[in-house]
Amino acid sequence: MDLLELWAIFGPGVAGAVFGAGWWIWLDAVVCSLVTVPFLHYLPGIFASFAALMFNCVRKEDIDYSPYDEGEWRLKLWLFIAYVVSFVSLAGSAGLLIQDSLDKSAPSVWTGVAGVLQCVFVLISGLVYWTSHPE
Amino acid sequence: MFSASILLQILACAIYNNWWPMLSALMYVLVPMPCLFFGGGSTQFLMSRDGGGWIDAAKFLTGASAVGSIAIPIILKHAHMIETGAMLIELVSFFIFICTVLCFHQAGLDDDW
Repeated sequence: MDLLELWAIFGPGVAGAVFGAGWWIWLDAVVCSLVTVPFLHYLPGIFASFAALMFNCVRKEDIDYSPYDEGEWRLKLWLFIAYVVSFVSLAGSAGLLIQDSLDKSAPSVWTGVAGVLQCVFVLISGLVYWTSHPE
Repeated sequence: MFSASILLQILACAIYNNWWPMLSALMYVLVPMPCLFFGGGSTQFLMSRDGGGWIDAAKFLTGASAVGSIAIPIILKHAHMIETGAMLIELVSFFIFICTVLCFHQAGLDDDW
């Protein structure tokens, strides 16, 4: 069998592994942090997971790429909102990283880096899951 | 082999008189759940591409649970809550568990033929 078929078989499992790795990094940083991590720092990871879930709720067959018809605008609106949520979560985690690096009493810089890595891994797992579904 | 896996789990706790590694046992319960719920008790769906949405979700959960099983001992070691030896015993226990699952999977395939 060719590579695309292998990707279709093992892609969802790889996506789950990447998702687990993302949350692993964050939990490791939180457990080993000397300063208590406020709940605000958890939100980018939670929203990234939610965004990955959002754009994988869509069935790819329903997306209409025709330039003439209006198509399923609700579907595209949903995907757009999922993109906005993922973008905001990435930007939020980067902002918290910068804030942590400037403030001495905040959690360490590694916690901020782990937050950014968590968002990146979670969103990558969403993309892996999406691309493993054949048209 | 499954008994050996559980035995190593208990050993990792008893040798060091530290019961935090039992958290890994929770993940051992989680790993088979997608097979039971979506795959009809078989591991055949893992090698198939025809299952559809719920089968793909089961694969996703299986991957996440497997990484979680590896992640928990390493996080506990990093936080200095368990010894290095206990972490290694945990990882060997998980490896034996994976071998058990693969043998079960192979036996299932043989039944089909």
